[in-house]
Amino acid sequence: MEYRLAQRFGGRGFAPHQFRQALRGVAVDGGGRLHAVGDSVVKVFDPDGTLLRQWATGQPGESAAVDDEGRVWVGQDGQVEIFSPEGERVDSRRDPGRLGLVTAVGFGGGDVFLADATARWVRRYGSDGSLLNNIGDQHRKGGFHIPNGVVDFAVDDGGVLHVANPGMHRVERYSPDGTLLGRFGRFDGQDPAGFPGCCNPTNLTVDDQGRVIVSEKAGPRVKVYDPDGELLTVVAAGVFDPGAKNMDLAVDAHGRLYVADTATLEICAFEPTGREATA
Amino acid sequence: MSKKHTRREVLGHAARGTALAGLGGLTGLLWMKANATFAWSINAQRCINSRLGAVGVEVCERCATECVLSLSAVRAVNEFKACGRCYICPAYFQITSAVGSDGLPTEKVCPRDAIKREAIGWIDPDDPANNFYEYTIDETLCNGCGRCVLECKEPAGLGSIRLEVRHDTCLDCNRCAIAQACPEDAFDRPEPT
Repeated sequence: MEYRLAQRFGGRGFAPHQFRQALRGVAVDGGGRLHAVGDSVVKVFDPDGTLLRQWATGQPGESAAVDDEGRVWVGQDGQVEIFSPEGERVDSRRDPGRLGLVTAVGFGGGDVFLADATARWVRRYGSDGSLLNNIGDQHRKGGFHIPNGVVDFAVDDGGVLHVANPGMHRVERYSPDGTLLGRFGRFDGQDPAGFPGCCNPTNLTVDDQGRVIVSEKAGPRVKVYDPDGELLTVVAAGVFDPGAKNMDLAVDAHGRLYVADTATLEICAFEPTGREATA
Repeated sequence: MSKKHTRREVLGHAARGTALAGLGGLTGLLWMKANATFAWSINAQRCINSRLGAVGVEVCERCATECVLSLSAVRAVNEFKACGRCYICPAYFQITSAVGSDGLPTEKVCPRDAIKREAIGWIDPDDPANNFYEYTIDETLCNGCGRCVLECKEPAGLGSIRLEVRHDTCLDCNRCAIAQACPEDAFDRPEPT
């Protein structure tokens, strides 16, 4: 399978569709609209990159996710703000003294999963907001090894969590109760099937085929692995700013892939091409 | 009965006092200048090896090659609190070199093997990736070439390694050869304020 760069939008600047200082997280909703979080704002774009609406967040957003009801969850330092699809703040989640920097949000089985980069774990909360368990806290290193400062994960359709563990050059799979189900990945600075540098992959997402899409830093690139961890393709290398790192990813139901270039503050949209694209 | 001073006398005293104070200040300033310690230092925001945003540049080794000492007075320093203690450190390993049977890169960055790598904490002997590692620079070997500094820089690393002048060996030359050769004017000797 292959991808082509279809579009770039956003970027650094003061125009309504641009970001001033930071672009941290991207997420797509059921309608294929892209929600991008940066600075202290959520910007909603249609698939063509046209800005539909935007609203302010209470703190700088670190991550974004859209639940089945279309509500937009924005991870921040110590809290998550929840907005209606129109941008009205309807709720928030805090866990004082426990929850740190929320660098990813996910949903599964009625529970909410928050990546806590301060603790270096993923925290699982029930629908009532109570903490059910942590994921990754049994790690010998005390949590995921994240020299980049970001824990990123995705929940697949089967409810399995895929977590990037960049310091160990791995993607790890966990059940919601924190049981390690498997892993793939190894260091390699030459073979693209491996993860290069000190600490990759930094971010990931999972498409509806169970394929794991990862982003790397130095030099920044995006790759796709099958559910067993076999490299399928390198989506893009040389497309992003060399200084970009922690590039968040989102994929819609058609396989259209969005990557947040954290240096240029652009959102790069890639479309799958070829027969295997929707296999 | 107190003596009355004329206006002329008052102004004269004031002028003499002001002149004396000025002369004292000038003397003090000259004394400070004469006895001040001017120290050569490296401005990390200018040095091409450590300056953020300078990605994909060639290493500058002038700190190692231009010093009049046989072993430069410049050393690399790893600030441990900023170090990620990575399994694969890009400042230690040549990360684009071939991977050996142990899963590690086969080549190192430092041409003088001045960086020491040691697993720390509760060590997992079965899974080396499952350990933290401490990277210590042997200052008897380091010549300040800056290669590790460049490789440690963001975004590849965390920028925990920087170059410093070791003042116990620096000769404090008035016309420092490194400063004259530095293409970024990063090697300077700021005057004390």
